[in-house]
Amino acid sequence: MGDYTLLYILFAPFVGAIALIFVSNRQAMLVRGIAAGSAFVSLLASLYLFYAYDHVKGGFQFVQKYEWSRQLGISFHLGVDGIGTPLVLASGILLFAGVFVSWHIKDRTKEFYIWLLILAAATIGVFMSLDLFFLFFFYEMSVIPMYLLLGMWGSHTKKYNEMTDPEGLKLRDSVGFIFNFGSNSKEYAAMKLVLFLSAFAVAALMGILLIYKYAGLNTFDILVLRDQAKLMNIPVLGTTLDKIIWLLIFFGFASIAPLWPLHSWSPVGHAAAPAATSMLHAGVLMKLGHFSIIRVAFEILPETTRELMPIAAVLCMFSIVYGGFVAFFAKDTKYVIGYSSSSHMGYVFLGMAALDYISLTGAVMYMFAHAMATGMLFAMAGWVYDQTHSRDIPSLGGLSNRMPFISGCFVVACMASIGVPGTVNFIAEVMIIVGSWNKYPLQVIVAVVGIVLTLAYLFKMMRGLFYGPMDQKYSHAHDAVAVADRLPLLIMITVSVGFFFFPMHLYNVVRSGVDPLIAKIIRVVPIASLERETLVMNGETTSASKTIDALVLTKTPSSLPPSPLRGLE
Amino acid sequence: MTFSLTISPSDLLLLLPEILLTCWLCFILIIDFSFPRLPNEQLAYFSIAGLIATLGCLAWFDIAGITGTLFANMFALDRMALFFKMFIVGSTILVLLASIDYIHRFKFFRGEYYFLVMMSALGMMFMASANDLLSVFITLEFSTLGFYVLVAYLREDMASNEAGIKFFVLGIFAAALLAYGISLVYGETGKLVFSDMTAVQATPGLAIGFLLIFAALGFKIGAVPFHSWIPDTYHGSPTPVTAFLSIAPKGAAFAILLRMFFVALATFKPIWILLLVAASILSMTYGNIVAIAQKNMKRLLAYSGIAQIGNILIGLAAGTKMGSDAMLFYLLTYLFANLGAFAVVIAVSEAIGSEEIDDYSGLGRRSPFLAFSMLIFLLSLAGVPPLAGFIGKLYIFVSAVKEGLYLLITVGLINVVISMYYYLIVVKKMYVSEPHDRSPLRVSGSIKMVVYVCLAGTLAIGIYPQPVTDWVVSAILMFSNFPDPTAALPVPPAVTPFGG
Repeated sequence: MGDYTLLYILFAPFVGAIALIFVSNRQAMLVRGIAAGSAFVSLLASLYLFYAYDHVKGGFQFVQKYEWSRQLGISFHLGVDGIGTPLVLASGILLFAGVFVSWHIKDRTKEFYIWLLILAAATIGVFMSLDLFFLFFFYEMSVIPMYLLLGMWGSHTKKYNEMTDPEGLKLRDSVGFIFNFGSNSKEYAAMKLVLFLSAFAVAALMGILLIYKYAGLNTFDILVLRDQAKLMNIPVLGTTLDKIIWLLIFFGFASIAPLWPLHSWSPVGHAAAPAATSMLHAGVLMKLGHFSIIRVAFEILPETTRELMPIAAVLCMFSIVYGGFVAFFAKDTKYVIGYSSSSHMGYVFLGMAALDYISLTGAVMYMFAHAMATGMLFAMAGWVYDQTHSRDIPSLGGLSNRMPFISGCFVVACMASIGVPGTVNFIAEVMIIVGSWNKYPLQVIVAVVGIVLTLAYLFKMMRGLFYGPMDQKYSHAHDAVAVADRLPLLIMITVSVGFFFFPMHLYNVVRSGVDPLIAKIIRVVPIASLERETLVMNGETTSASKTIDALVLTKTPSSLPPSPLRGLE
Repeated sequence: MTFSLTISPSDLLLLLPEILLTCWLCFILIIDFSFPRLPNEQLAYFSIAGLIATLGCLAWFDIAGITGTLFANMFALDRMALFFKMFIVGSTILVLLASIDYIHRFKFFRGEYYFLVMMSALGMMFMASANDLLSVFITLEFSTLGFYVLVAYLREDMASNEAGIKFFVLGIFAAALLAYGISLVYGETGKLVFSDMTAVQATPGLAIGFLLIFAALGFKIGAVPFHSWIPDTYHGSPTPVTAFLSIAPKGAAFAILLRMFFVALATFKPIWILLLVAASILSMTYGNIVAIAQKNMKRLLAYSGIAQIGNILIGLAAGTKMGSDAMLFYLLTYLFANLGAFAVVIAVSEAIGSEEIDDYSGLGRRSPFLAFSMLIFLLSLAGVPPLAGFIGKLYIFVSAVKEGLYLLITVGLINVVISMYYYLIVVKKMYVSEPHDRSPLRVSGSIKMVVYVCLAGTLAIGIYPQPVTDWVVSAILMFSNFPDPTAALPVPPAVTPFGG
């Protein structure tokens, strides 16, 4: 292990995907075995990474750097800090769980696992990139597998299927494409997802290119740009350049998060996706947005972040409330969970927007906790769909008799998603709320209302699925009894509950990443006044600095020097 | 103006690749006439052997650094010319390999097919070295001559005949423009060699002359508004010819454009940048938007090709050393992706006899290999990591952002998203739609070889581009008005990984 841990985590799934190319689809167990094996290597390495990360030392650890393109100034630069580490772990867990959740996929098993492994590896790659180019590289790379996973193994919505008849085919496709009145085909969902994310990704790329150009350092390296790029106060188009870059980066990456007005691809995509893809999608793919904003905007443009982050504080309210209400009225299990995810991502934005040590730590911990909770929910929605071929809540019911284990786990997953004490989500939510109370009390109230909403729609869904009378046509549905079926749920429950009782290491690791970041954002002196200071200092030379010493030593107001030094007070 | 045509043996050495190819194509013709019973595959492999020898010779020149000029600067052999010659010969080899299966569709003159393809390749090799306006005209017409015949090679097929006539009429028109432009430029300046024109005065006649020359070359590369021949010609031609037409002449024409803009017109850069920006924006936008509506794979690739040319023009519009490096890099990525895509089109059309996108339904089940290859090539054309096309696009955009061409980059980025739509439509057909017929497809060995080479190129350049980047950077070093790029790069300062 040691220094190469990140390479193991990143390349194990890739190697698994390449190995799968050479296996025949008929050897289903071998295919699953290779997928599970490579996911397991990645999981073990990420567990090692998480516990070997030295939170006392902090900073970027396990750094790997290889030159990749001299002319463009790109290096393959990997490293994790306290923010990336838990997210890498979450990806590892969800990938491993996802392999088992998809255990029963019969159609083109091999191809499914190839794309799933590539998707997960690309996601992991973003969390450990220290080079803007590679961050974008892996970000884009995670989008295309989503298209194939949704298109090939996804499912249409109920309304879409109802519109299936030979005459209506044409109307269905054309109308469905433009207006999609809840009647989405999986192809539509996949195409919308890819185009939406690509369109915003190119906005982020524009921001990255502007950083590259105006930094003038001929490098994409985040650490170099963080320390040396001077992007402030360049007037352009009636505003300043750093604001334009920040907005491009923020909205470019917030689309995948998904922040309120940019969310519409997400529930549609969740609904169409197969269970394991939804898990990865909601569990880690959406966090790419928050993570990239932290890594690029917070690191390179701390001062602009302080100035413009209130935008996120405003939009996150809409995210929380809108997502919650739609989830309450949705009738499709996956829509409910999808909208609940996009609502919960609003909490993360709130934690980020407050720019406070506690709230940002809470936000990162919430990303980790939410990955587990939503992973469980999607896994179980997938199980119910596999058994009943229905996602329509009103037509389902009474399944707890048929599947006691699943319904038991579902209760735990709901608790986790709501943030009931006993799950790590509780700690994270409390930290976000406490941390942002001082700055954004209104948003905190909205967030608390959001928690109540979460309670309402999750319990409504739970009652709809597992309790009440059961339709006889579902009497053949059966519970998860095999080890392979129970394992993913048990892992995620263990992690979710375990970190409630032993949260200190997680907290310390995240805190070690958050501290330097927030310190920089809060304490940065505005460049304008800094320049004025240096000007004054140059003009006054030594006598002025002596006067400052005198000032500090004597602290007598009577010895204040005349005007030129006023700015220094 | 007088020429002293005294050629020493060492001068002839510079022409060695061309001489080799000339001898070889005559040899092929003789074999074809002497042994009419010889199977076509063998003739193809003979031709390919000759081309590989030529490629080897070019590679030797490149490594040994053999360069020079001939015939009073008409013929320049420098690293850039060598790059383009290798580009042309390499694509010719792949096209001939891909043609082996297709050749049975020709009722007559099967042997001459190889001769004509190689003759066009020879013409384009001279184009890559053309260093004055006269040789531009001669070599351009020489290379197009072979294509006039090749495009109409399916003699019984109306579409192919139509393609031939369209290509011929518009090609002749472009030739006339070129000749007129050259005469205007010569009349205004009295000079023909590019490097002599650096100090000319701007006059209206000169401007019109160069505009006409640009129009003729724009016809060759298929940039909007000189693109009108492309869709029908690509659609009607035999598919291997379409593949050839979509790659090799572009490379040769870009060689001339580079020499013209960067050497002859270097002082007028602020003016021609506007021209190129306009052509680039129009090509990208028009190509991508019209491609959305296509139902035929060849037409889709034709329009996507127009858009790709628009992308390459961004690099030319940047007008810097880095921009031209990026162009060369992009051309290479385009070569592998586009040729690979056409190879798959040939394989599918051999197996099911159709090039309609609708007939690609369920290709993922019928032939996982072809479908996966097509997926990779289309995604590379769309610019998705970790494939070559992504690095190419990024290289182009970085070179343009350094020059502050924000409008161009914005349009380019929007077009990346638009293009993703129609490439994904094909992907959807292949992987999501159910096949009309479930029988598996047979793929012949020669096509497989082409696809493997293109897959390897697309993936290798995408995953580790440094060797190719080094190559293109050294290929462009010959322009004297560029400073040494390694001196211009600021060395990124070292950082400690544990920064606060």
